[in-house]
Amino acid sequence: MNCAIGYPRWTPRAFAVTVRQAVRFLGVAALLTTGNSSEAGEPGSAPPPDIDFNRVIRPILSENCYKCHSPDDGARKSSLRFDLRTEALKPAKSGRIAIAPGAPEKSELVSRITTSDPEKRMPPKSTGKKLAAAQIAALRLWIGKGAVYAPHWAYVRPVRPALPKLRDENWPHNEIDRFILSRLERERLQPSAPADRYTLIRRVSLDLTGLPPTPAEVDAFVKDPNPAAYERLVDHLLQQETFGEHWARMWLDLARYADSAGYADDPPRNIWAFRDYVIRSLNANKPFNRFTIEQLAGDLFPDPTDEDRVATAFHRNTMTNNEGGTDDEEFRNAAVVDRVNTTMAVWMGTSMACAQCHHHKYDPFSQQEYFRLFAILNNTQDADRSDEMPIKKLYTPAQKEQLARAQAESWQLEQNFGLLTPESLAQLRDWEAEFPLALLWQYALERVSRPLTSAEETAQYANPPPAILELIQQPSPVLTDDQQAILSTWYRSHVAPELRPQQDRYAQLQSEIDAIKPNTVPVMRDLEGEKRRKTHVQLRGNFLALGEEVTEAVPAIFHPLPGGTPPNRLALAYWLVDENNPLTGRVTANRFWEQIFGIGIVRTSEDFGSQGDLPTHPELLDWLASEFVSSGWNVKALLKLMVTSATYCQSSRVTPELLERDPDNLLLARGPRFRMTAEEVRDQALFVSGLLSGKMFGPPVRPPQPSSGLTAAFGGSLDWKTSEGEDRYRRAVYVEWRRTNPYPSLSTFDAPNREVCALRRPRSNTPLQALVTLNDPVYIEAAQALGRRMEQASGSSADKAIFGFRLCLAHAPRERELTRLLEFYKAARSEYEGQPEKAEHLATDPLGPAPEGADLPALAAWTTVGNVLLNLDETLMRP
Amino acid sequence: MDPKLELLQELTRRSFLRNAGKFCLGSIALASMAESATAAARTLNPLAPRNPHYPPKVKRVIYLHMSGGPPNLDLFDYKPDLVEWNDKPCPDEFLKGKRFAFTTGVPKLMGTPRQFSRHGQSGIWMSDAIPHLAEVADELCVIRSMNTDQFNHTPAELLLFTGSARQGRPSMGSWVTYGLGTENQNLPGFVVMISSGTQPSAGPSAWGSGFLPSVFQGVQCRSKGNPVLDASDPAGMDRAMRRQTLDVLRDLNEAQAADLGHPETTTRIAQYELAYRMQVSVPDVMDISREPKEILEEYGATPTEASFANNCVLARRLLEKGVRFVQLFDWGWDFHGTNEREDIRGGLTSKCARMDRPVAALIRDLRQRGLLDETLVVWGGEFGRTPFREGRTAGSNMLGRDHYPDCFTVFLAGGGIQPGISYGETGELGFAITKDPVHVHDLQATILHLLGFNHEKLTFRLQGRDFRLTDVHGQIVRGILA
Repeated sequence: MNCAIGYPRWTPRAFAVTVRQAVRFLGVAALLTTGNSSEAGEPGSAPPPDIDFNRVIRPILSENCYKCHSPDDGARKSSLRFDLRTEALKPAKSGRIAIAPGAPEKSELVSRITTSDPEKRMPPKSTGKKLAAAQIAALRLWIGKGAVYAPHWAYVRPVRPALPKLRDENWPHNEIDRFILSRLERERLQPSAPADRYTLIRRVSLDLTGLPPTPAEVDAFVKDPNPAAYERLVDHLLQQETFGEHWARMWLDLARYADSAGYADDPPRNIWAFRDYVIRSLNANKPFNRFTIEQLAGDLFPDPTDEDRVATAFHRNTMTNNEGGTDDEEFRNAAVVDRVNTTMAVWMGTSMACAQCHHHKYDPFSQQEYFRLFAILNNTQDADRSDEMPIKKLYTPAQKEQLARAQAESWQLEQNFGLLTPESLAQLRDWEAEFPLALLWQYALERVSRPLTSAEETAQYANPPPAILELIQQPSPVLTDDQQAILSTWYRSHVAPELRPQQDRYAQLQSEIDAIKPNTVPVMRDLEGEKRRKTHVQLRGNFLALGEEVTEAVPAIFHPLPGGTPPNRLALAYWLVDENNPLTGRVTANRFWEQIFGIGIVRTSEDFGSQGDLPTHPELLDWLASEFVSSGWNVKALLKLMVTSATYCQSSRVTPELLERDPDNLLLARGPRFRMTAEEVRDQALFVSGLLSGKMFGPPVRPPQPSSGLTAAFGGSLDWKTSEGEDRYRRAVYVEWRRTNPYPSLSTFDAPNREVCALRRPRSNTPLQALVTLNDPVYIEAAQALGRRMEQASGSSADKAIFGFRLCLAHAPRERELTRLLEFYKAARSEYEGQPEKAEHLATDPLGPAPEGADLPALAAWTTVGNVLLNLDETLMRP
Repeated sequence: MDPKLELLQELTRRSFLRNAGKFCLGSIALASMAESATAAARTLNPLAPRNPHYPPKVKRVIYLHMSGGPPNLDLFDYKPDLVEWNDKPCPDEFLKGKRFAFTTGVPKLMGTPRQFSRHGQSGIWMSDAIPHLAEVADELCVIRSMNTDQFNHTPAELLLFTGSARQGRPSMGSWVTYGLGTENQNLPGFVVMISSGTQPSAGPSAWGSGFLPSVFQGVQCRSKGNPVLDASDPAGMDRAMRRQTLDVLRDLNEAQAADLGHPETTTRIAQYELAYRMQVSVPDVMDISREPKEILEEYGATPTEASFANNCVLARRLLEKGVRFVQLFDWGWDFHGTNEREDIRGGLTSKCARMDRPVAALIRDLRQRGLLDETLVVWGGEFGRTPFREGRTAGSNMLGRDHYPDCFTVFLAGGGIQPGISYGETGELGFAITKDPVHVHDLQATILHLLGFNHEKLTFRLQGRDFRLTDVHGQIVRGILA
């Protein structure tokens, strides 16, 4: 993949050098003490010698004080603000000083948080907040030590930390493990034993491709004596096309990709080219910076390709409101607001949205800054129109070729029709002379109520359009040369008898050209010149209440936009992936980490601001961010690093003690284990039963769904006509995503409706999920197909059951499990032997007739076994 | 914050780290860690019943939503002056600076063509379109001074049900379920039913959980066909066989739990058992043919239909079984006058005929069963309708009105509120509120208050901010409280 991004500001390589030089120049120790040592959790460790502002003090102030003593002028109930040291140290009108560095006893802050006078006590009772004794002690200690402020950790550019020293040097596979183990050693915790190979291959296959391994793949891996067997497996999986289909899911949640436009009638939207773009980009391992820039501003490249333009559909996934009587400008504005919020949340983990209506209460973003960012995204042509303009037409290579051929031939014929020879002119005169007056009158009388000529007669004279009739009416000497040429061309292309074959061919070509329907995709396109919009601050976020006019800029707390170029989307895109951006690398590395380990290093992966959680392993996060960026934003390399770590390869078995100590596995003293995504649950069921189609790309598909019998407000039916053939069994990433009626079995498993950017999916565990995998026709069909696979497998009933078990779980059942399954199978079978009708239903509805001569009671019993296997906790969990 | 709610927040698994990270002074962090272990155990059942902030006035809510915006001036808000001014051009003062969905220029004022009279001992004004509701007038608290910010259906419904006109926030029912859990563990805590064949304009967002965990979203039940998706066993599998499959599943899952030690496995076993019970309990409660004939007649309900009347019967049955929040959506209240169905004469009469009787029956039925005092019934739309004729249809022989956000009517019945009162007033022509305005955020705050919540403290943290149903607004409407 081409990694050059056509913009001469910097290259990833250059950044790597910069960091290395910086490390050499400043020394590692100096880099490590740059206010970046914030770490959360820290159970059991001794209090630090100094109170860390970011880790201890800012959260107390942010949670309890900022709401009134904050950056937001509007909400600030007091002139005193605690977010800036200079302000906090100023004497108040009363002469008292809130914070007197080194002198807690002279600090009004301390006396107000400790006073027993309820009138004076801070925070006020009405806020419902109360400081804990330890928090008061921390504030007192911090002021005593000089009340040192530090910038919020996430707004300071990460530096690559040194690798921690360890007591156990043998455990780590790579750098990740050094950070994880270092923390575990401090906590006096042991990492868990490695997971067995069966678990490992199922885990990593699901994580990288969203599908489990086949029994043959399992056997090959388990028996592979090569010490590099696991790494080879990972490399192999990273090369699969199923990789992109799986990882697209995460990005499509962020991009709020859907196949409908949203709001009441929620009409279909043709934008699947963007989904395919994401899958292809991931499979090609497109550098994340390139991926970013294409999506935000691919249309602004000097010479954009189709791919660059399709990428910009990222921000055309905002909703459009087609409800009658709505103000398009209002909803165009809503779309731009969404773009600002989504951009800042996806790339920078920033809750910029808060600043739409007022200055941010916790983070240093003013409302002006919000609208200056808004201004950058406020100059595209789209305007909440139902036709989704502007759109890009996409022809396939075959269509392009066909089109070029047809157009070239048409052009040649047009040349011929345009010839102006004396013979053809003479012919034209004769024809004109014979032209029926009735037709001319009809034209002259203009839309007479009753045609004066019969249809046949009109047809015989080729039914000239008004413009031509106009010319025919006039005596030829009056016509200009151009008019003469037009008339002649029309005559030759429609009437001249000797050109009939060419005329027919031409008509044929035109209908061929018309028949070539390109796929379309809504894209970003800038307004030009006078049409460009001015941006004003919108008071309280109301698009009709305009304040001061603002120009394009990014928030001042961050590095500036690149110089020497217009402050447009392209500049913004480069700014996001600039080496000076403190957040994009961290936020992105954290997102991938969250997918692989279940929880982000910053658990609030959507918020790295002062109200977000602190990282559990800050140095690891910075190391990963720096590694990611210096690798050229190489996504597959980042994932490989994660899944080949010893941390990842641990068993997920947990002792009650460890569960008590670390219930959410933040410290990773065991392997991560969590419920699969909605898409994985479905795809796995289809895969293990042999139903899953491997067909990639193309228009969304409509697998069976329960009928609702409802219509959308002002729109069409919510039910759909089920796709036929293999389209019933495609991967979930291709299922039509309708915002007002998301595919029910996916949304039951926490798939979002994608009305807006979904930053993090919850993982619930509900009875409605059980009903889906137990009873939904899609899962019954899968159980039937899995049942047939087992039935058809060779060997004894035990062999068949083992085969089915291994299809789902990679490993063979343990003795007790096998016994229980077989006992169940036998009971079910004898049950169905007495009830042939029930057996036939269960074995064939909806999958279809059983093979000739099949043993229906056996098939029905195997179906029940399949139903059990697809519902096992272990099956639904990524191990 | 209420310690219960604090724990509730923890079950979302978000706040633990925040708390641990913020104290971070050895022992406190440890304590927090231990507390979190209990919190993790609590994730076993996020729907476990919980108490609200203070003793509630009502335990449950039936929200009857007339999707489209019922014509307040033809039902509850009587304006004799407007009748006098009928067909006169609308004075400029009422139009200046305002936007309407389908009306431009100067429209004509339109007095109601309906007959109004006072009803019950309380003498509440109601039109002849709702004769049955008139009979229960003394149970109603009619708020004529409702107002909203939005004049299009989707944003107005979103504002009403999620507190924000944009998609993405949790719905009122989800907030309540998040705060209260579920009383009957065999049924969903929040049930939604739709009549007249069409989803409301806000779509599933009106009962969606937004950023709350999805267990809190409304479960859409149907009065026709399978009441809950996938609740029926597949063809060929009877209950006994389903029981056997669950027994195997439980045995194998228990082995898994013992082997790996993950509490989530135990949760899953419990959820499968609950699903099994729901397969029986939901169809059971959703089967209105079990109701006596007189009751069905009183509601005007017919088993197997997907009618609003049936949904009203079902709402009562669900409440009796402990469902906390039932929301009914009825489509077809958008009286523009673009066809006969949308005409405020005959069209409104026949639309009301399918609403008036079942709602009155529901209120009486709840009263008779002694449930009304602990239940809040809310009836309303997403906005009101203009005192003038809608622009597009003004030239036709249909009478219709445009969307109007500044004034509309909602009525409440049940516990904690004063019955038999009219609250709030609009001006002589019905263009503006002249007394006691009630914004939709105020209505939300009041509903939460009646359920025992401080609406400012029923919050969920997302991207560093504590979100709530009432956004940054909402005043409890003290004037209607009993």
